Amino acid sequence: MRKIKSREELTFQIVTNVFLGLLLVIVILPLWRVFMLSVTPFKYSDDSFGLLVSPAKWTIEAYSQFLSHPSFLLAFRNSLIIMFGGLAINLFMTVPMAYSLSIRTLPGRKGLNVLVMIPFLFNPGLIPAYLVVTSLHLQNTFWAVMIPGAIGIYNMFIMRNFFAEIPIDLKEAARIDGASELFVLFRIVLPLSLPIMLTIGLFYAVGHWNEFFTPILYLNSNKLQPLPVLLRNILMGLNTNEFVEYDAFSQVSVQSLKAASIFITMLPMMMAYPWIQKYFVKGSLAGGIKG
Amino acid sequence: MNRAVLRTLVASVLLLALAFVGGAQAQKLVDIDLWLLQAVTEAGPPPDDWVGYQIIRDKLGINLKLTLQPSSFSDQDTKISVAAASNTLPDLFGVNRDMLVKIAKQGLVAQVDSLLPLMPERTKTHYSDPLRNKLVQINKKMYGLPDPGAMDRVEGLVIRKDWLDKLGLKVPTTLDELLVVARAFTEKDPDGNGKADTYGFGAFYESSSLATIGFGRRFDYIMGAFGVAGTWNFESAKKFQFNFRDPNFRKAVEFIKKINDEKLIDQTWSAPNKDEFRARWKQGKFGIWWEQFAALSTKANYKDFDANFPDGEIIPILPPKGPQGKSSNGLDQANARIYAVSAKAMKDGKGPYIAKLLEWMATDGYYLLGFGVEGVNFNKDAKGYITMEGIDPANAYSQKAMQPLTQLRNMVYVNNDIELAVRYPTYKSANGKTMDPLAIWKFFVNSPYTQALGSQIIDPPSNVNDFTRFYNENLVKFALGQQPLNDKTWNEFVKGMDKLGAKEIEKTAKAKLIDAGLLD
Amino acid sequence: MADTSVSQSLDRATRSKGNRLWGEIVRHRAFYAMLFIPLVYFMIFKYGPLVNAQIAFKDFMALDGVWKSPWVGFKNFITFFSSIYFWELIRNTMFLSLGKLALGLPMAVILALAINESSMRRFKRFVQTVTYLPHFLSWVVMYGVLLLLLSPDEGLLNEIIKALGGKEIAFLQDPKWYPTVVILSDVWKEMGWSAIIYLAAITGIDPGLYEAAEVEGASRLKRIRYITLPGIVDVIVTIALLRLGTILDAGFHQIFMTYSVPVYSVGDIIDTWVYRQGVLDFQFSLATAVGLFKGVLGLSLVWAFNRLSRRYLDASLF
Repeated sequence: MRKIKSREELTFQIVTNVFLGLLLVIVILPLWRVFMLSVTPFKYSDDSFGLLVSPAKWTIEAYSQFLSHPSFLLAFRNSLIIMFGGLAINLFMTVPMAYSLSIRTLPGRKGLNVLVMIPFLFNPGLIPAYLVVTSLHLQNTFWAVMIPGAIGIYNMFIMRNFFAEIPIDLKEAARIDGASELFVLFRIVLPLSLPIMLTIGLFYAVGHWNEFFTPILYLNSNKLQPLPVLLRNILMGLNTNEFVEYDAFSQVSVQSLKAASIFITMLPMMMAYPWIQKYFVKGSLAGGIKG
Repeated sequence: MNRAVLRTLVASVLLLALAFVGGAQAQKLVDIDLWLLQAVTEAGPPPDDWVGYQIIRDKLGINLKLTLQPSSFSDQDTKISVAAASNTLPDLFGVNRDMLVKIAKQGLVAQVDSLLPLMPERTKTHYSDPLRNKLVQINKKMYGLPDPGAMDRVEGLVIRKDWLDKLGLKVPTTLDELLVVARAFTEKDPDGNGKADTYGFGAFYESSSLATIGFGRRFDYIMGAFGVAGTWNFESAKKFQFNFRDPNFRKAVEFIKKINDEKLIDQTWSAPNKDEFRARWKQGKFGIWWEQFAALSTKANYKDFDANFPDGEIIPILPPKGPQGKSSNGLDQANARIYAVSAKAMKDGKGPYIAKLLEWMATDGYYLLGFGVEGVNFNKDAKGYITMEGIDPANAYSQKAMQPLTQLRNMVYVNNDIELAVRYPTYKSANGKTMDPLAIWKFFVNSPYTQALGSQIIDPPSNVNDFTRFYNENLVKFALGQQPLNDKTWNEFVKGMDKLGAKEIEKTAKAKLIDAGLLD
Repeated sequence: MADTSVSQSLDRATRSKGNRLWGEIVRHRAFYAMLFIPLVYFMIFKYGPLVNAQIAFKDFMALDGVWKSPWVGFKNFITFFSSIYFWELIRNTMFLSLGKLALGLPMAVILALAINESSMRRFKRFVQTVTYLPHFLSWVVMYGVLLLLLSPDEGLLNEIIKALGGKEIAFLQDPKWYPTVVILSDVWKEMGWSAIIYLAAITGIDPGLYEAAEVEGASRLKRIRYITLPGIVDVIVTIALLRLGTILDAGFHQIFMTYSVPVYSVGDIIDTWVYRQGVLDFQFSLATAVGLFKGVLGLSLVWAFNRLSRRYLDASLF
């Protein structure tokens, strides 16, 4: 019995890991190429598709173009404010709604679900949204960027689903003991929902971090502009190079700068994710039952 | 009461009153909200303590509030659209012509004819070109201020002279000669690296407005050789029509198809990728292309090509003459950086203040806005030209840190010799050649162009989206060989255009042009 | 007498039903309290714009504002419907969107399963981290990557084709290949990121079930089929339905950055057409009208598939 199992197990592991390995290669090669782009000086010959340029030839010129920009730190700070502030608002708004809608016995649940579904499907677009924000005089403040997207309906539905999976016995047990619904939510449901909270939180955070369109529309002052807008401006500046006589920039090719801007944006997320991964512990839900 | 006391009382009351009024007047600053088309997209606005703000406040009584427009044109348009839609346009803002017409039709911008007499000097240097003024006119009234924009005729045909020399070829002057040269460039390894990796022609797809539909501006020298550059034929009222009806148009398309079939042109020409295109000529992928003189030859832009090919040489050449001896370097279109005044601002009486501000910019403020503070950021030499002698190089106005100071310079530049000399200086290339961008520009200026000002005032039809797509898609597919090009298919194309309303568009456009005095 | 008692008991029944409802509402009052602020937000920021969306039926004049602009009925919709490319736009949009869904969702699930099953701890963590990174690449940069692979004269793929004796293909300019490029590149870009949510779902499955199955001698595959998949089918259905609802958003940025005139016939989608229309002709009303049209179609699709999945998979969105 054992032998068969372990052979089957082995085959399975081999197949799975080879598959993952293949995917890894398919994903890494182009990523590596983009990274190479960001560190190689302008070259004529494409050394084996630009994948094997030796570190000796690398230059951090493209990165320094962005990092040394006088507004870089300010833009970075603005992005952090928008991300953390926005995330706080997101969770504060999304969690109660997702949880309430996950309660199967809630009267009017179906109607509420439909109510929520409609704006998800019917997106009236830019102008109607802009008109709402300006009528509340939110423009040129961070609120204009953080509030209109407070609840992402997609995210909310997914979160609602996860909440619905929480075994009702756990909640009932607490209620019988006299716990309030808030207690049930904060002390029982949320701790069990750590993976989904982190995931949705990650989705929201990344959305805020990469946001550039709403800031362009609503934030007039340069002092409020977040990182993606600054990066975009620097890149766009190269397109109007023909009219600008300063040789202050364009020491590296346009592609290098585009690639570098991507990695600069990616870096905080790359550092945050492994930390989040730790909380994706199996059976977090089951643990609740046993406890 | 004592007369003296009474007199003192009255005097002091009068003085107080005067002081109050005077003080109130000094405090009564007019706010002007200016959305600027900034000079350098990623440098910020002038700092809060910029001397210009102070001067504008004290001398003109204006509290100037600057916002820099977003960097890309589409973002700019979006931002103005939403402001227009919510009726919150700023007092004074930069805008492109098409957008201006759209919002003018909604009544959101003011007529500015009345402001011109209030700024005589500026009008003389900025608003005296009748062709440029036509750009902002609707029903003969001006709805925007057309500042001189980029220079005219800045693009043209260039070739790799070192490749010609290596292959022992002369500079081509006719289309047939150009074809021979292109073949040689493609087949005879002109860069001598042993690889068949060069093309004759290079281009990318650049078609932005109704005036430039078809293959786009990068192919105008070919279309022009057949006498059909641009969308329209503006030669005379009698001849006015869409160029595609001209039998020579089809011949031009066939020529492009030919160079595509024979792989004489860089294969990505049908993609709209300007960055790739520019990277590729710098990498020496092709030898004949159409480019803007500054993008080609200023130190910053030439640097990469120079590094790759220290002995390379790019020279401008006259556009080739076609079978009937015609040639064209492209379309001649008036060019302006337009600033509009919102209807609200005009109603609020800010018009005269705006005029005062603009007049000051063009006169006393010229050097400050254009180059910074004299003696700190720049100096003037004996002839009045700008020089960096005598100032600390760290403070030169062209330095990155100083760029915010001259963000408004596009509101004062008029492309005079002083400006050009400092913007496009000569320099030495890697192997000691003297590079003179202005010389290239002057060459282009003296090349033949096709007059096409009218195209900018022709209003697009309501189905312009479908119209443009049908036009572009068919032509590109013909040239790429994705659909066959013969009498039957060409006639179907023409019929399709007529079904989309080509004849009606011609009629309306013709009437409008005659009325505007651009066709006779 | 009997009538009265019947009517009386009927009375009692209905009254207690009404009372019961009210009782339920009161019992759930904490939840309604929780819903209060989010619902206010909803009304202002989600339904507010919808009210403004009436400009789809009007000829929007900024000076008159939303309310005073003149009604034009369905004129804007007709402009859209009467485009000679209308059916082509619908077809392209649906094809590309469904293609991405049909290939992308299973790929993400399989990736999540594979990561979950692999016993090489550090390796799988590494795979997970790397595979989600492409999500951060903007299509501006992706275009450059695609050129590297697919460019006719220098692309990696074409080098291979030429080495094998074939003729080079201009993948990005060839209508036969462009849809494939769009779908595959999107799957490549998003599969790692999409897998995250499925991984999170898998952690919620009771490990006791796996232990029990192992004791009974079930193979890995069997365990996946009977434990893991059912455990996450809820999430899969939710996501699938949500994506169906927005099926007419086929990925504007991707198409916009990579399309060109030769591939309009297969690459032009509703949003790119609307974009060009807006650029060339200031038409807010039109864009809004198209948005409403997309919403109606999306709603019908979600409704239909929601019923189907409730019936056959016992999982639904609402």
